[in-house]
Amino acid sequence: MFLALMLTSIGTIASADESPPGSRPDIIRIASGSRTLTLDPTRSWNSGDIETFGQLYSRLFRRDQAGNLQPGLAERWEMSADARTYTFHLRDARFSDGTPITADDVRFTLLRMRDDPEALYSEPVSGVVDVVAVDQRTVRVMLAEPNVPFLDTLEVCFLGITSRADVENRGPGKAFTEHPVTSGPYRVREWKPGDRLVLEANPYYWREGFPRNGGAELIEVIDANTRIAMLLAGEVDAIRQLGWSRAESFRAQGKVSVPLEPANLIWLILLNHAQPPFDDLRVRQAAALALDRQAMARVVLRNLGRVANTTMPASLDHHLADFPGWPYDLERARQLMAEAGAAGHEVVINIAAPSPQMELIGLILQAQWADIGLKTRIVKMDQGQEVQRLMDGDYNASINWWYNENPDPDLALRWAVCGSCGNRAYYTNYSNKEVDRLIAEAAREPDPALRRVLYQRVQRISTEEVAQIPLFYPPWVNAYSHAIEGLGMTPALQWTLENARHLR
Amino acid sequence: MTRAYWLLQRLTQLLPVLLGISVICFALLQMIPGDPARIILGSRASPEAVAAMRDRLGLDQPALQQYLTYMSKVIRGDFGESISYKVPVSKLILEHAPVTGSLAVYVIALAVPIALILGMLAARYRGTWVDHLIRMLSVLGMTMPVFWLAILMLRLFSIDLGWFPVSGYGQGFLGHLHHLFLPAVSISIWMIPVLVRNLRASIVQQSVADYVLAGRAKGLTERHIFTHHILKNASLPTLNLFGVLVAYLIGGTVIVELVYALPGLGLLMFNAILGRDYPIIQGLTLFYALATVVITLVTDILSGLIDPRVKA
Repeated sequence: MFLALMLTSIGTIASADESPPGSRPDIIRIASGSRTLTLDPTRSWNSGDIETFGQLYSRLFRRDQAGNLQPGLAERWEMSADARTYTFHLRDARFSDGTPITADDVRFTLLRMRDDPEALYSEPVSGVVDVVAVDQRTVRVMLAEPNVPFLDTLEVCFLGITSRADVENRGPGKAFTEHPVTSGPYRVREWKPGDRLVLEANPYYWREGFPRNGGAELIEVIDANTRIAMLLAGEVDAIRQLGWSRAESFRAQGKVSVPLEPANLIWLILLNHAQPPFDDLRVRQAAALALDRQAMARVVLRNLGRVANTTMPASLDHHLADFPGWPYDLERARQLMAEAGAAGHEVVINIAAPSPQMELIGLILQAQWADIGLKTRIVKMDQGQEVQRLMDGDYNASINWWYNENPDPDLALRWAVCGSCGNRAYYTNYSNKEVDRLIAEAAREPDPALRRVLYQRVQRISTEEVAQIPLFYPPWVNAYSHAIEGLGMTPALQWTLENARHLR
Repeated sequence: MTRAYWLLQRLTQLLPVLLGISVICFALLQMIPGDPARIILGSRASPEAVAAMRDRLGLDQPALQQYLTYMSKVIRGDFGESISYKVPVSKLILEHAPVTGSLAVYVIALAVPIALILGMLAARYRGTWVDHLIRMLSVLGMTMPVFWLAILMLRLFSIDLGWFPVSGYGQGFLGHLHHLFLPAVSISIWMIPVLVRNLRASIVQQSVADYVLAGRAKGLTERHIFTHHILKNASLPTLNLFGVLVAYLIGGTVIVELVYALPGLGLLMFNAILGRDYPIIQGLTLFYALATVVITLVTDILSGLIDPRVKA
């Protein structure tokens, strides 16, 4: 076995390789620092996989260029009078193996996300009571209670429709590693884990005339300098994660395009409300007031995005834009610390390494919190350990970020500030019954104006109670070759790959 | 002692070495903090999902049980399935090995002839400007960090001049030669000086040995003495050093692989460690161990062919 491996490694130098379509002109090539770990949309919310899922699997709805919800695999739909039953009529569409996409596949996909113990993020379908395949092309979804953002939710990349027959025949292990049957614009030509995912146009894709290219290569390149070199040398058409510190100079040079695309993204500091000193509201407020976040945005983010004013990403619907947020006020912060008698407390700040940005934020935190008498210790650890400590509540503060899969605040606020939605308000142990009630009520409220009022109240309360310390709202900082058009990234971390093509 | 018996003895020595390495590598991983099930599933997963994953991976079993299960599979040629990618580890190693293997062969092809020539020149013209120049360049080559050199060459030859590709492995033999040239040069620039200095020192040392004096007394030409006696004897320490360097290359090219985006074994290991992908780390460690052992064995056999005394 070992010898065979070694001989192959030496033997291959003399043999011709299979030829992926790397040099074909109608192939779009993207280098990203994120890794593709799985092709199964229920199994991951790692950013590399999110970038991939949308290319492989169509949902019942899709978003157009302007970000509006449009029919996807569902051509038409009706909602019952009590707003608890949706009936979807599927269009005549096929999987990448030529078999029809049926109501049964939709039922299988939604229930698999809800019921499979290894499914990672069942929150979007947690309110689904049952799914019934009425006939081949009609599917009915019953909800426990009205859920206004439900159609929006059905668009998130994790709910891409997969083939029941294929997953059951081959088992999820094989079905999602060896040429998965897809419903989206592409199918997998070859997956080399840790290297690249080679996609080719899905000939059965339901959108006429798409994709506008023959295929794509999603190449994993860990080193940002190498990604940039590849783009400058014309080996790829676009790169993810140019780096905040490099954006300005590349924009000035103009050799590549760096559009700074809006993102449903927020960087923040998580505080553990279950332990002193941050169990005391006054200390949390003092910690927020002691931070000069304008300066931080200038130094770390290079002013590419705005300072965050609430606990929710600014790009989402119903963001409380005119709320001032926490100012930099050292006097008041010191006063609050004195009232709470918390000066001299040691605070452990966890950072997932390696991340130069987070380390820089950590250093600024350390200096600014020292001004109000908080002693800090920065502990760097790998990502897995950081997440584990967070979940175990074994931390005081953690520098972190999250993003939302759609523009509706429902999933976002359930994730970030809801104490009874399964993750204890992003593991901060923040819990306010009023906030939880408002989130639930807003999901049932059909009037957009009233929903707006409810969501803005949630943002106001959770920000004033310092559920977390919001830092800033960064954009996606990707770079694109001038030789392509139509390629971009949506706020939901999805490449608009099917629109992309090379300019002549 | 016959050659076959000697070879058999060397081969049986491999087993405890490999077993020891597998035990040590397994124990190390047990002591590192971080739960693979949590890493795979991330912070959104429910505790039930994590428990299910731990159960599926056998992570809730005692360490000894986990080790025994793993080894019994390894003996049957099954390295297990990657935790994060859910594909067989052997498939991953097979996919990534050709890149590193080709790179190692390329480095050898570039470094050995150059090192031989420079080493002999430096020794032959010891104390002259030739020697000084070679030694100075050697120090320069050894002290330049490989990653820095790699970035610099990438900038100059790939972006500014456009002579070589920035990344990847290429198609076909010529494609590989073209794509791997800069990575191979980056490594060679560090490796050649090590070999040159070693070879020069050995030649210098051998050229004052008694057998050289005896050869001269017998009336042998200087050329004959050098090629048949000095060089043969002087090459042994360099050959052994070379073996170690090649074994190092199989696992130690990660920085060059990172800079040139080469999907090789070093990168696979790098990602596996970051992602706590136990089966990949274990499979690769065993692979490296065996590669090292095999290369050492080959070096020993070659040494035996050059110098019969080695076998004794």
